[in-house]
Amino acid sequence: MKRALYITLNEVRLYLQDKGDLAFSLLLPIVTFALIYGAFGGRTLFEATARVVDEDGGAYATALVQRLDAADGISIETLTSSQAEDKLDRSDVLLVLYIPAGFSESLLSGGKSQLVFKQRGNGGQEGQILASIVRGVAEDMNQEFQVRADVAQNVEGKGVPEERIGVAVEKYLEEERQQPFVGVAEELVGGSADVINQYLPGIVTMYVLFALSLSARVIVEERRKGTLERLLTTRLSTGELFFGKFLAAVARGFVQTLILLGLSYAVFQMFTPLTFLESLLIILIFTAACSALGLIVASIARSEDAANWIGVVFTMFMVMLGGTFFQVTEDSILHTMGRVSINTYANDALRKVIAEGASLGDITIPLVVLGGVAVVGLIISRLVFRAVPGGK
Amino acid sequence: MVEEFVVVSDLQKSFNEHKAVDGVSFSVHKGEIFGLLGPNGAGKTTTIRMLSTVLVADGGEITIGGHSMQRESAAIRSIIGVCPQELALYDDLSALDNMVFFGRMAGMTGLEAKEQAMANLKLMGLVDRAKGKVAKFSGGMKRRINLAIALMGNPQLVFLDEPTVGIDPQSRNHIYENILGLQKKGMTILYTTHYMEEADRLCNRVAIMDGGKIIAMDTPHQLKSQIGPPEKVTLEEVFLRLTGRSLRD
Ligand SMILES: Nc1ncnc2c1ncn2[C@@H]1O[C@H](COP(=O)(O)OP(=O)(O)O)[C@@H](O)[C@H]1O
Ligand SMILES: [Mg+2]
Repeated sequence: MKRALYITLNEVRLYLQDKGDLAFSLLLPIVTFALIYGAFGGRTLFEATARVVDEDGGAYATALVQRLDAADGISIETLTSSQAEDKLDRSDVLLVLYIPAGFSESLLSGGKSQLVFKQRGNGGQEGQILASIVRGVAEDMNQEFQVRADVAQNVEGKGVPEERIGVAVEKYLEEERQQPFVGVAEELVGGSADVINQYLPGIVTMYVLFALSLSARVIVEERRKGTLERLLTTRLSTGELFFGKFLAAVARGFVQTLILLGLSYAVFQMFTPLTFLESLLIILIFTAACSALGLIVASIARSEDAANWIGVVFTMFMVMLGGTFFQVTEDSILHTMGRVSINTYANDALRKVIAEGASLGDITIPLVVLGGVAVVGLIISRLVFRAVPGGK
Repeated sequence: MVEEFVVVSDLQKSFNEHKAVDGVSFSVHKGEIFGLLGPNGAGKTTTIRMLSTVLVADGGEITIGGHSMQRESAAIRSIIGVCPQELALYDDLSALDNMVFFGRMAGMTGLEAKEQAMANLKLMGLVDRAKGKVAKFSGGMKRRINLAIALMGNPQLVFLDEPTVGIDPQSRNHIYENILGLQKKGMTILYTTHYMEEADRLCNRVAIMDGGKIIAMDTPHQLKSQIGPPEKVTLEEVFLRLTGRSLRD
């Protein structure tokens, strides 16, 4: 048994030596990951540019714009009236905030004042969110005016100078802003982009499968080098040799997955510690199934080319049918065909865990199927495993 | 009375109807260097692969060190070392790592394997290249490592399948000396070659193979005496006389 572990260690060592192989199996997933990240990136907050036409130019108009600018995720672009008309005409922007002339003056004199949204259609999703943020800011300002007016009314006739009321109210409001009665905090609870939840499982399982079809090639290569045959003349038994190779394949697939899933965890926060462990378990069983299939390929392939081709074709089928790049609708033919792909089960289970926080109990069926393939595959691969054609 | 360490009787092996080994019988005495000679395709390697537990024979009996091949191949594997005809090395690993790995496979601990690997490298004149990647070695150096690995774990019997093919005279002489040294230490050696003068120089006894069969077996001296004064004729000429063909046809 100890010798089987030496076989595994040696395999891992050779794998680390083969730069091309290493790059393919580790760097490529990371590059893929970087691309996903670029595409679906870590934008968890709303971000938008508010277009403002300030026809007023007074103190209150400026204050309003400043407050908008200070709101999280909002940046301000000021436009002239004609620029705004132009952009709206061309549908470059769907919504513009107008601060009408006389806005500040009217407020100063205790009167009412009106902000105007000019928009195409409903202003677009972004426009609607912007509009509600603007309403919130306007509401804030309203309340402040209200407080100031109320205080002024209460102290009326008590000889308090208007300036002092202003200063006191301002101070109070400032304190209130620092420590609001009802605060709103943001807490990241996980998965931002559904798209990632959708694609990551497929990408992970695809790479595991690719890596394992590579290990089939590695064994064929070792046979060609003669080292496999040499091993058979030592105390190592064929069973130990098989088991060592199997462990090496599992270790390799697993390390790769650990990197991909670990990165996703760190960057997208798409896991909880529990779903992370569940995902690793799914991948472990999936890797065992793939490794067993890889050893069958290694046993029947007579040349590296043959091993490559069987590996690639097999991987393509599993990947395409496995719903890697698209979600297969339930009652379609593809869905039925997908049942022959082990990726389907791994992807389904991973998606359930990642997207829905499913527990192991919820994914018993895919786990049992994968486990079954692993066990049966292991038995078959052990039976067909021949280190040397015509040998033991 | 000599002790027969290897006993082979009526060994058979076919590849797709082609009889590669066809009823071969011989025995090797403990502590001797026994040569299997013959042109390419004679069946030497196939015989060695069966003796070293890699291939399963179609028929016949093999006993090594008192162990039956059919029932105790694991015991046989624990007392043999093999230097295959084709290089069997991990090119991406250092010479030392190659040897330590196979040393472990021969049942040694890491420390033992390392010690013996260094000793064997010294024997092969490659100590200063211990940490060098095998991929960077010359053909002759690779051959020497290939041989050194066969000695890991101090096997009682080593199979050397054409260990000197395609190497420079210097490496070749180095290997000859080592083989004679191994014999002095008590190892039994089964040596194959298609260089007749090499067999003449090294082997205590030889079997000449052709077409899967042994066509003559004796000491080189006796074989040569059959066709003339032994100091005047070569094993090459013996082969020619026996088969009517030159070795290098
Ligand atoms: N694995 C194999 N498959 C098919 N034919 C083989 C195989 N190994 C050897 N042979 C054939 O068996 C014969 C003996 O080969 P071999 O034992 O390698 O001869 P030698 O070592 O004496 O040169 C040759 O004709 C060779 O082509
Ligand atoms: Mg040969």
